[in-house]
Amino acid sequence: MNFRSLAIRLIAQPLSWARAMSRRRRLEKEMEAELATHLEYLAADLVRTGYAPDEAARRARIALGSSIVHKEEMRAALGLRGWDEMRSDLRYGARVLRKSLGFTAVAATSLALAIGANTTIFSVARQVLYERLAVPHAVNLRLLAWSAMDRHRAVHHIWGDDDPLPGGRTTSTSFSYPAYQQLRAANRSMGDLFAFKVTAMNATIRTEPQRIQTEMVSGNYYAELGVRPQLGRAIQPGDEGAPGQGPVAILSEGLWERSFARSPAVLGEIIKISDITFTIIGVNPHGFTGAKNVQQSPDVFVPLSMQPLIRPMSVRAAQAGKPYASALEDPNFWWVNVMGRTWPGTRDATAQAALAGQLNAIVRATMPVRPGDDLPHLELRDGSRGLFTQEKMFAKPMAVLLTLVGFVLLLACANIANLMLARGAQRQREMSVRLALGAGRTRILRQMLVESLLLAGMGGTGGLFMGYLGRNIIPRMTENAWERSDFHVHFDWNVFAFTAGVTLLTGLLFGMAPALAAARSDVTHGLKESAKTTTRRRKGAGGKALVAFQIALSTLLVIGAGLFLRTLAGLSSVEVGFRTDHLLLVPIDPPQGRYPAGKDVQLHERLERAFAALPGVESVAVAMESYVSDGESLMGFYPQGEKYDPQKHQEEDFNVVGNRFYETLGIPIVAGRSFGTEDTRISPKVAIVNQKLAATRFPNQNPVGKMFSLNGHDADGHGGTLTDEFIRIVGVCGDTRYSNLRQEPPAQFFLPYVQQSELGGVTFEIRTRLKPETILPALRKEVRQIDPDLPVVNVRTQEQQIAADVQQERIFVTLTSGFGLLALALASVGIYGIMAYSVSQRTNEIGIRLALGAKPSQVRAMILRESSWLAGGGVLAGLASAMVLSRAIQSLLFGIRSYDPLTLSSGVALLLLVALAASWIPARRAAGVQPMEALRHE
Amino acid sequence: MTPPKQDKQNDVLQGTLDLLILKAVSLGPLHGYGVLLRIQQISGEELIIQQGSLYPALYRLEHQGAIASEWGESENNRKAKYYRLTAAGRHRLEEETQKWKRMAGIMASVLRATPERA
Repeated sequence: MNFRSLAIRLIAQPLSWARAMSRRRRLEKEMEAELATHLEYLAADLVRTGYAPDEAARRARIALGSSIVHKEEMRAALGLRGWDEMRSDLRYGARVLRKSLGFTAVAATSLALAIGANTTIFSVARQVLYERLAVPHAVNLRLLAWSAMDRHRAVHHIWGDDDPLPGGRTTSTSFSYPAYQQLRAANRSMGDLFAFKVTAMNATIRTEPQRIQTEMVSGNYYAELGVRPQLGRAIQPGDEGAPGQGPVAILSEGLWERSFARSPAVLGEIIKISDITFTIIGVNPHGFTGAKNVQQSPDVFVPLSMQPLIRPMSVRAAQAGKPYASALEDPNFWWVNVMGRTWPGTRDATAQAALAGQLNAIVRATMPVRPGDDLPHLELRDGSRGLFTQEKMFAKPMAVLLTLVGFVLLLACANIANLMLARGAQRQREMSVRLALGAGRTRILRQMLVESLLLAGMGGTGGLFMGYLGRNIIPRMTENAWERSDFHVHFDWNVFAFTAGVTLLTGLLFGMAPALAAARSDVTHGLKESAKTTTRRRKGAGGKALVAFQIALSTLLVIGAGLFLRTLAGLSSVEVGFRTDHLLLVPIDPPQGRYPAGKDVQLHERLERAFAALPGVESVAVAMESYVSDGESLMGFYPQGEKYDPQKHQEEDFNVVGNRFYETLGIPIVAGRSFGTEDTRISPKVAIVNQKLAATRFPNQNPVGKMFSLNGHDADGHGGTLTDEFIRIVGVCGDTRYSNLRQEPPAQFFLPYVQQSELGGVTFEIRTRLKPETILPALRKEVRQIDPDLPVVNVRTQEQQIAADVQQERIFVTLTSGFGLLALALASVGIYGIMAYSVSQRTNEIGIRLALGAKPSQVRAMILRESSWLAGGGVLAGLASAMVLSRAIQSLLFGIRSYDPLTLSSGVALLLLVALAASWIPARRAAGVQPMEALRHE
Repeated sequence: MTPPKQDKQNDVLQGTLDLLILKAVSLGPLHGYGVLLRIQQISGEELIIQQGSLYPALYRLEHQGAIASEWGESENNRKAKYYRLTAAGRHRLEEETQKWKRMAGIMASVLRATPERA
């Protein structure tokens, strides 16, 4: 057969098959009619040769033969036979499953649970780690990044990500605005570069002050991303004018819905962002989340040129001793993210090399570069997922969860395979009869596989349904009590395909062994009365191996859950060093435009007085950093007489606090005094250090009375000075945790906020016995009286804040405990099933033993011993693999090693206990066998 | 869609039957019984086709696109299904004819061979 005829067949056959399938009833009629016509012709011819009509019809029928057989062959010729057999297999399979409802229910439910868990975890992992930005051709997007040796980095001031790489390098995706502009102008190797920066800001929308996420974008941002607003117009190059120009804003669909009820009249309306008036010109399309991430859209998009007005850099400018309020003109400040699209045909490496050369030239021309400084090496990263910061947070946890949930599925498969093997032994007779009646072994194999796939299909459907119901459970768990979250898991055909694939795979996985066993059935043995005893041993061994495997997997899962449980327990019992109860955290972020240096301190003084006067408030602490909130402030700390030394670690954590900070948080003053009313803006500068700092920086000395300065670390304008004055240490306080629970209490010093020239945002920490919702209206009223545009948002208790810090651990404990419980349940079903089966098969043997004088307790012990061997083997295997695998999760643990003896031994004990409990009933049944009955049974 | 399993001898016969059917309908559209008669007629009543194996073969050839069918009126006003050769079928008929001729030639020369005296 040559190529042409093969091609014709490849086209003709599927068409013909589809035609036959779609008009099946008509086809059957036509076959009938065609054969009937044939008979008539033949009979007519026979009559013509002299036969009587009746005789002619009879002879014609004989000549043609059985029309049933012919029709079967005609169907086979059209390729319909496979389908027909499949249908009868399905019908038969459904009948078999319906007949043993108990088995079907247990198997389908356990599969549904396992597949549902897999679907849920997969859908979250896919969204977090693989979903692309909702823009056309996201794959072409490249994110500009750079890396340099940390020690001699030419770039000193970064606002944005700054991550360590192996080998002492660090990497960042932040660029200075001048560097961006010059790169854009010089770029000849990829699409036009666009820039953006996402940051939180205060806004007043329809008189409602709130805290919003704002994405500042370059004028070409919308054009380059290829995004068109669903309402109004996009931000255009013309909107991005000189610094301070272009007060136009585009809303996210979420904000449009929340604050404007999707009103089309929103265009032209005014909102205030950081006290600056913006005109709404558009609403983003559905699903667009900006260029930074794929999870959640910033609320408002404005031109980057507005940065000097809405987010002035005054603190930094003062530190650098330079007058920039505009980060747009500062070549030393690296903060904007830059993206561009690759051109088809231009390799990434080519574009990267060209841009890297240009960036080097730009840095040399615009920044002070000292000899030995390491210039930033530009690199192109995949930009299709935005900055993709979630990878470093979630890649490992997701991998761990997917592995564990995969184990659960494997366990469910082993369980069903085991049940089916046991059932297969009961169905041996049926198989023998079918073989004896002429069924092919492949046909039986297929029949069994169809049954398994049918079962898997039921489990898969249930799992898909559960996954759909559970798709938002994990996002809900990642939310905290005080922040809004729009993170929804998309349930699309990817997830469906995954579930379908998993279902098919599980069906094959647990169906293969029973199917092979059934196809191997022996015709003669199966039909004999006592056949079961001869085949017991081999099948029993296979089932036992499966059960041991189940126990091993359960051990692994239970130990995993135990490790995370111990981690959570460890974190929950951490001594933070201050009183966390009845403490309300109220962050206040005054916009720098309205509250420049000095004004902000006055605002906080007014608020502190107002809050303290409220009924029900016991005391109020002001703090620049609230603890266990993931924030950290560091500054160079130089005791009098100590010089800057790049080889030494001289930076220390610090906090800027109010007078009643220690009293409110219950932090003891162990030497000297606390801050008091005698410390004012004009009195000599004072500080308090904690014990850790006293011990590390003033070893064997009394730090009280010592002087230190906060001089910047170098003299080229990179560093900064809040004050040149020496500061006197007046007290020593107890140690506390700082940014999170995991980190040991760091050395820390404290400055009174009233003595600072500028401060920015602070958190008011209010000790009150009132409930947060009771006191919040009063707090809001006080703030509104002082400034109606100042939002009071993200209010939470210190305890809620600490709970949020251990959220990932809690999610892990919840999920892994769930997996562990499911595993235990499945394993106990497995053990019970195999032991009950074994006992029922050995009724005769047990009867004989009892008849010969064995005591029931001996029989019971015999059965328990057997199951103990099984459980012991499985537990040992599980323990060994747990010890190997848990090393991979050491970084997710806290306070324990991965081979934590307590967890390992409790896991082992639990599994052995469950195994014994599950085999107790079969053992009792064995001990209760009546010898006479057992023997008569034969 | 696997073809039914048959032993070697039947395979040859089946191939022959396909070729005969293609040849028969190449002379003009025919219904099933007509195909049977035409084959008997052009073979000089030498070849007798198993009546039962005719229809599966017709269906298989149609399935493969070598012939096409259509319901029509027969000579005595009966409805009958008429088969005709398609372009692909004509191509295949030529091909199979060549193959058959070559095979027949080879077989003939093989059978003509006489034992050599050593």
